Amino acid sequence: MSSPVLEIRDLTVTYQAGHGRVPALRDVSLVIPEGSIVGVVGESGCGKSTLISAIIRLLAPNARIAGGEVRFKDRDLLLLSLEEMRSLRGDDISVVFQDPMTSLSPVLTIGRQMADVQHRGAAGRRARQARSRQMLERVGIPDAEAQLRRYPHQLSGGMRQRVAIAMALMAEPSLLIADEPTTALDATLEVQIIRLLQELQRDVGCSILFVSHHLGVIAELCDAVVVMYAGEVVESGATHDVLRNPRHPYTQRLLDCDPARIAERTRVLPVIAGSLPDLENLPGGCIFRERCLQSFARCAAERPVLSGGSHRTACHLPEAAA
Amino acid sequence: MSALLEVRDLRVRYPLRGGFVDVVHGVSLDVRRGETAAIVGESGSGKTTLAMALCGLAPVSAGEVRFDGKALAQDRSRRLMPDRKRLALMFQDASGSLSPRMSVRRILAEPRHIHRVATVDADREALRLLSLVGLGEELADRYPHQLSGGQARRVGLARALALDPDLLIADEPTAGLDVSIQGEVLNLLARVQQETGLGILIITHNLNIVRHVADDMAIMYLGRFVEQGDSRQILSDPRHPYTAALLSANPGLDPEASRSRIELIGEVPSLLHRPRGCEFHTRCPRARETCTETFPESTRGAGARTFNCHFPMGCLPAKP
Repeated sequence: MSSPVLEIRDLTVTYQAGHGRVPALRDVSLVIPEGSIVGVVGESGCGKSTLISAIIRLLAPNARIAGGEVRFKDRDLLLLSLEEMRSLRGDDISVVFQDPMTSLSPVLTIGRQMADVQHRGAAGRRARQARSRQMLERVGIPDAEAQLRRYPHQLSGGMRQRVAIAMALMAEPSLLIADEPTTALDATLEVQIIRLLQELQRDVGCSILFVSHHLGVIAELCDAVVVMYAGEVVESGATHDVLRNPRHPYTQRLLDCDPARIAERTRVLPVIAGSLPDLENLPGGCIFRERCLQSFARCAAERPVLSGGSHRTACHLPEAAA
Repeated sequence: MSALLEVRDLRVRYPLRGGFVDVVHGVSLDVRRGETAAIVGESGSGKTTLAMALCGLAPVSAGEVRFDGKALAQDRSRRLMPDRKRLALMFQDASGSLSPRMSVRRILAEPRHIHRVATVDADREALRLLSLVGLGEELADRYPHQLSGGQARRVGLARALALDPDLLIADEPTAGLDVSIQGEVLNLLARVQQETGLGILIITHNLNIVRHVADDMAIMYLGRFVEQGDSRQILSDPRHPYTAALLSANPGLDPEASRSRIELIGEVPSLLHRPRGCEFHTRCPRARETCTETFPESTRGAGARTFNCHFPMGCLPAKP
């Protein structure tokens, strides 16, 4: 097996909020092997956004990395100088955000923005423009030459997201981080973008960290999946293992709640009762315990560690059953 | 018995630089008491404009809306008020539709103020509404920014129910909610419907939800209904290629499904340049020459289903 492109070990990130401290990520570990697509699933408040910001070192000023390491091709990103980090961003690591309208500048043409992204190369104006046109064609934008002269608001949502993807892949990065890139799109466009990402990943050969709350999209696109809840990884493994045979009660409940998976028409849809724990005053023990239907004494006393071979889970149940 | 809400050939037209654009292009539908109808479509199909028009918040340029057998006044004058009271709207942007300067208590009291409904005990009324949607009393003094997405959604529903309406129009009631709690909002709607016989019109782009909550459904594309009828029938056996594409676009957990997927090409055309013939032909994998020339008349299928397509699913082999 080839060495991983990204390896995160025991990453802990804390926000200073008012009088207290909010540990938004606790001991998060994940691995992205070269050339693979790894999905991170989780609902609001699970720490997805903090995780992305920590990897690219663009955390809010009140955030502090309290521990762990983020190894990108054998370098710990957390130890790099700001200068070194800046030279990686947009070059070897790129990000596609959820809403292209906020990541593209509304006052510059697409062509200008795509040329700006190439500021590192020695290429001249013409060469940059040719490269931009070529990238637009590659992401399936018709009439690329004309689009370069247009502004983001003149493009539809699907086209804007294609432009954002073209820009992110321009420097042929080793790692593409996609933060809910299809959430703002309609279902038929969502499918088109997933296909596009699959094709490009094959062509460019980059690895992708794909963050989403949509289990269906993850199932379709990702080789492996990491399930997060309230700042911790609760389960990880190959996509088909985790989704077909979920071991953590949270993953199981999450799958049960997806109306796409309920074949029989029902008037009462399943929910996960309760709410996220207060991170400022962590309850101790298992983080999901208060909403878990199968919790027992040990869950309150001891925090389960993520363990297992290739399909890992942070839960006391399998051990209790054994 | 006539339906609670009857919409006939409704059009919404906006003027635009020397021309006009038809956002809703002649749609008809019924919502019966105690039943749920759903309108499904992608962004820009005209779903929300239709909902707004039904409430008198968008201009109706032609067609008729009958509410409980009576034509609904189609202007924003006070004449609409007695009917508006019986027809409630749950807005798409839940937190955005709650005034940031009002406490939940005041938000819930406002409908009664506006409609001058005598209230003996406004506080008790607010608490009754909160408990109706499963929220605790402690929320009464909070402000919208202190509510979570799910809570804001519930407050929006409580406000919509404040005047005991007969019809509730819910615009994307679960958009942006996590899967683990979207069921709560839908279960709540079902419970209120059971208790009060409320008619519900749900506007959504999520077909999975429709399957569980709707009796009837209509699929909207470029301001028209391309297929409508019994939701079970449509979901199990779609006839319009657009319906079929939407259904198969729904990424599920079954990898087999993606192989039989009907993939659409391109994007929704602009309303300013409606395609000739069948308006879906620019994206349709089954389109033939006829489709680019003639608009398909409405066809009646089994049951009460109608669809507009020259070459419906299950009839002819796809494109030669």
